[in-house]
Amino acid sequence: MEITAGPGGLVLASRGWAGEARPDGLGPASSGWAGETRRGQAGPVEFESYSVMTVSNSASGEASASSENHAALAFLPPPAKKKRNLPGMPDPEAEVIVLSPKTLMATNRFVCEICNKGFQRDQNLQLHRRGHNLPWKLRQRTGKEVKKRVYVCPEPGCVHHDPSRALGDLTGIKKHFCRKHGEKKWKCDKCSKKYAVQSDWKAHAKTCGTREYRCDCGTLFSRRDSYVTHLAFCDALAEESARAHGSENRREEKAATAAAAPASLQEQQMVSLPMLPDQKDRENSAVLLRYMPPLAPASMSVNCNNSSGSTTSCAGNTLFASSVATTRTSFSDLIGGTSRTEAEPPSLCLSSNGPPSLFPPAPERRQFAAPPPSAHMSATALLQKAAQMGAAASSSSFLRGFGLPASSSPSATGCELQWPEQTSMSAGLGLGLRYDGSGAAGLPGLMLSSANLFESKPAATLDFLGLGMGTAGSSNAGGLSAFINSIGAGGLEAYGGGRSSTPSKAWDGSGGDREPNGRAFTDSNLWSAEVLKQRSGSGENAVKIDLERPMRTEIGVREIAIGPTDLEFADKNLWSAEVLKRRSSSGARHPAASAAGPPTTVDDMSVVRSWWAFLTVRSGG
Amino acid sequence: MMQFTENAPPPSLYTAGGGGASLVRPWPDFPTSAKSLQGNFNNAACMEQLLVHCACAIEANDATLAQQILWVLHNIAPPEGDSNQRLTSAFLRALVLRASRSGCAALASSITGCAAPDHPLPLCLSPLSLAGFIDLTPWHRFGFSAANSAIADAAEGFSVLHLVDLTTTHCMQLPTLIDCLASRYPDGPPFLRLTLPTSSPAPPTLDISLHELGTRLVNFARSRNIGMEFHVVASTPSDGFDSLLRHLRAHHLAGEALVINCHLMPHRIPDESAGSTTTASRTSPRSAFTKALRSLEPALVIVVDEEADFTAGDVVGRIKAAFNYMWIPFDAAETFLPAGCEQRRKYEAAVCWKIENVIAMEGVGRVERLEPKAKWVHRMRAAGFAGIGFGEEAVAEVRGMLDEHSAGWGLKRDDDDLMLTWKGHDVVFASAWVPTTSAPV
Repeated sequence: MEITAGPGGLVLASRGWAGEARPDGLGPASSGWAGETRRGQAGPVEFESYSVMTVSNSASGEASASSENHAALAFLPPPAKKKRNLPGMPDPEAEVIVLSPKTLMATNRFVCEICNKGFQRDQNLQLHRRGHNLPWKLRQRTGKEVKKRVYVCPEPGCVHHDPSRALGDLTGIKKHFCRKHGEKKWKCDKCSKKYAVQSDWKAHAKTCGTREYRCDCGTLFSRRDSYVTHLAFCDALAEESARAHGSENRREEKAATAAAAPASLQEQQMVSLPMLPDQKDRENSAVLLRYMPPLAPASMSVNCNNSSGSTTSCAGNTLFASSVATTRTSFSDLIGGTSRTEAEPPSLCLSSNGPPSLFPPAPERRQFAAPPPSAHMSATALLQKAAQMGAAASSSSFLRGFGLPASSSPSATGCELQWPEQTSMSAGLGLGLRYDGSGAAGLPGLMLSSANLFESKPAATLDFLGLGMGTAGSSNAGGLSAFINSIGAGGLEAYGGGRSSTPSKAWDGSGGDREPNGRAFTDSNLWSAEVLKQRSGSGENAVKIDLERPMRTEIGVREIAIGPTDLEFADKNLWSAEVLKRRSSSGARHPAASAAGPPTTVDDMSVVRSWWAFLTVRSGG
Repeated sequence: MMQFTENAPPPSLYTAGGGGASLVRPWPDFPTSAKSLQGNFNNAACMEQLLVHCACAIEANDATLAQQILWVLHNIAPPEGDSNQRLTSAFLRALVLRASRSGCAALASSITGCAAPDHPLPLCLSPLSLAGFIDLTPWHRFGFSAANSAIADAAEGFSVLHLVDLTTTHCMQLPTLIDCLASRYPDGPPFLRLTLPTSSPAPPTLDISLHELGTRLVNFARSRNIGMEFHVVASTPSDGFDSLLRHLRAHHLAGEALVINCHLMPHRIPDESAGSTTTASRTSPRSAFTKALRSLEPALVIVVDEEADFTAGDVVGRIKAAFNYMWIPFDAAETFLPAGCEQRRKYEAAVCWKIENVIAMEGVGRVERLEPKAKWVHRMRAAGFAGIGFGEEAVAEVRGMLDEHSAGWGLKRDDDDLMLTWKGHDVVFASAWVPTTSAPV
């Protein structure tokens, strides 16, 4: 290896693979500038450095091995990268030219000192100077003086800033600099794509709308509809979702670690139902697949993998979606589908993990989760709808409005889980739980008690946390699953401190104009930050959600993960992030929330009991 | 009836004709060589004439005459010829099939060799192939584009869109509809309930199960953040989707926008000419179907179908109608698909299936009973629907789509409806209907 100091400073370059002797003994596949050291001559607009070194290719790396300048060799890209023919890799004999951005972008950088006329080429300037009778000199075409020049990008971080990746012509480096580091000022009228180089823009304009869509599988489409259709059925999407499901399963396995991404919630909501065996031979069989987009934390889902199968609140909002504005009949289609005797195929809601029998006639009595709002409805619309339904229903229960029996007695449509303590409780689907002042101390209150909404019953549970359901004062609690969800959402904590046995003022105030049509609730400002602040400050027991970290819990088997993003309601006024942050700013986190053990496959009840005990203790203190 | 020898070589027309002097020649001047045949007979009108006469001969059980004509047709219309020849060849195969079905088995077997009905059917495609297949022409896309805009409009203000997709295209419209909904309602797209009848046997069929199809659709909807349900109800057009309609009555929820998308499917419902002896005594299944739709109080009904009348009771009438309609897919394919390519083979196979169904099948097996727009309009109005037409957006959508296809395709707006045209000839119509406020007639 020869190292020669050129006039512009010492330039060290090596050719070929730097220090890597290829095992196959082949010579370097390509040559390039290894690195450079510049000394002196800083700052000229154009400085030239010569690399005069030559390396014998056959040495296959020995040359560099013997090089004295190891630091320079460290600049070399890893050999693997060189497999592709990267742009750059100029002739090592060439001059390396660095132009400042300004000079580079200047259209006429050769300026006549007499008339200030600018030229793009020095040759042209020289010819121009002839007209002023100034000394002029055209570059000789012959001889070794004409060195090949290569140009590097002035942007320090750019790959083409390295002389080993210099580009061979000035136009090339200009375009590169514009594209990568310049402003994109050329905009396509059709598709609004922006380009920094006018010629790129022109080229695009010619083909815009013709071959614009590319699937991950590599297929190109000229039309959007073709592309979209392809996308839906392409394996690329299926694989993607398979990957997602796979990762979900992995997460499930090591549920104790790592905060789960909110995405897992989404995954869980993809529910698919194979045809049930007993339905296959029926004349009217239904295949039902369903996906609900994630929304509020209310859409938390729990999949219970018990061998008995079955409770799934999985498609909580699904239930809602299907029972929009209907009475309980439709709900029972979904929940109690198997118990229906009509000829119509029951619509089924099922857990992906459960055994085929969905809602077995119930020796184990469970209460199904209340339907949380579905994504396509804003919270206010939901309330409105609920109010309408509530008005229509014989019971004014909000719960019933959704088609759920309002619960003081087990209903025919669902199985009910007996609350072990036989105490009154309410399930919260929403963002938190409040304690019921009038009930036993530390009862988790349901956020949205129907009684409070539409009846003038003395309210037992008053807080509004998401769109949950609640039962007030009855010994049998509804919505256990939902309750589990809420508690299990991890990071939920009871406010310590004082408790209030009186209904919230804010609520009472708005309760004054409750109307059957629910107009009072259509005003999204009802649940504005003020109200919430007021209430959170009133010393009532409440459950807070830690926004800062994804929350998780283990109920039965599956994990629930709720990321902060899930906390967004369609109606942003409902829960302002500020309030939530504020509320989450204090309070201790339950250990189980952050340090969850391996998935417990024990029955739900033990989990519930432990939560119950925990909550009771917390609220008592 | 004339003597017929099964394995006789295809007789020279003149010599055969010379033997049977009593035969009435439908053509005045009969050329002698294949080359001149090409010259003189290679026009659609002549081919149609020959097909009609051949059909008459088959109907009359005149095997010799039928065989002769078939032989001529086979010679002037090779399956790999130009579009008219391909068209005629398809009809030829259909006639052979008809002959074999109608008991003229000897005739059929004798001409099998020359007509060479190679049956690439059943055409079974993967969803991706089917998508590509559908994208070849605007034949289906026209209805998709027009309907998507109208459906998205109808969904406005509803939280649930219940779409009943009556189509032969295996939900190929759905991805674009989902995409349309997602872009139209970025803040809160409606929840999509999709109800399908079990698939029809008509080609092209899918090589995946309905369940898998649904999985992919739901999966795709998820990628667009649209909630979706996928139901399949066992139901066929043969009974006017009776069980499907019953299902809808039971499961139609009050707060949802019910949209019935009839895409090239309603013509599979039996019509008055279904051939049953009791037909006269009862109402047409199609009219019953439209009335049943009306009783569901749908938010929108889209009727897209091919503009032709294949309901004629006699095969000659159907041959004429089909010949003057089915040339369009062959002609269109000629403009953009190279002869002999796989896509074209499949494309034409599907067209051939339709021709065979129209010509060779009778009774319930004949499902391609197209009715022109006027008849459907009449039925829909009688059932208590009013046409609402398509918005400018839908029209722009369709025009944009057509711009990306061959220049032969065009769009015509008559009354409220849209009509896809090929070189000025009506191909497919699209119409949108809403229930009238007054009670149905």
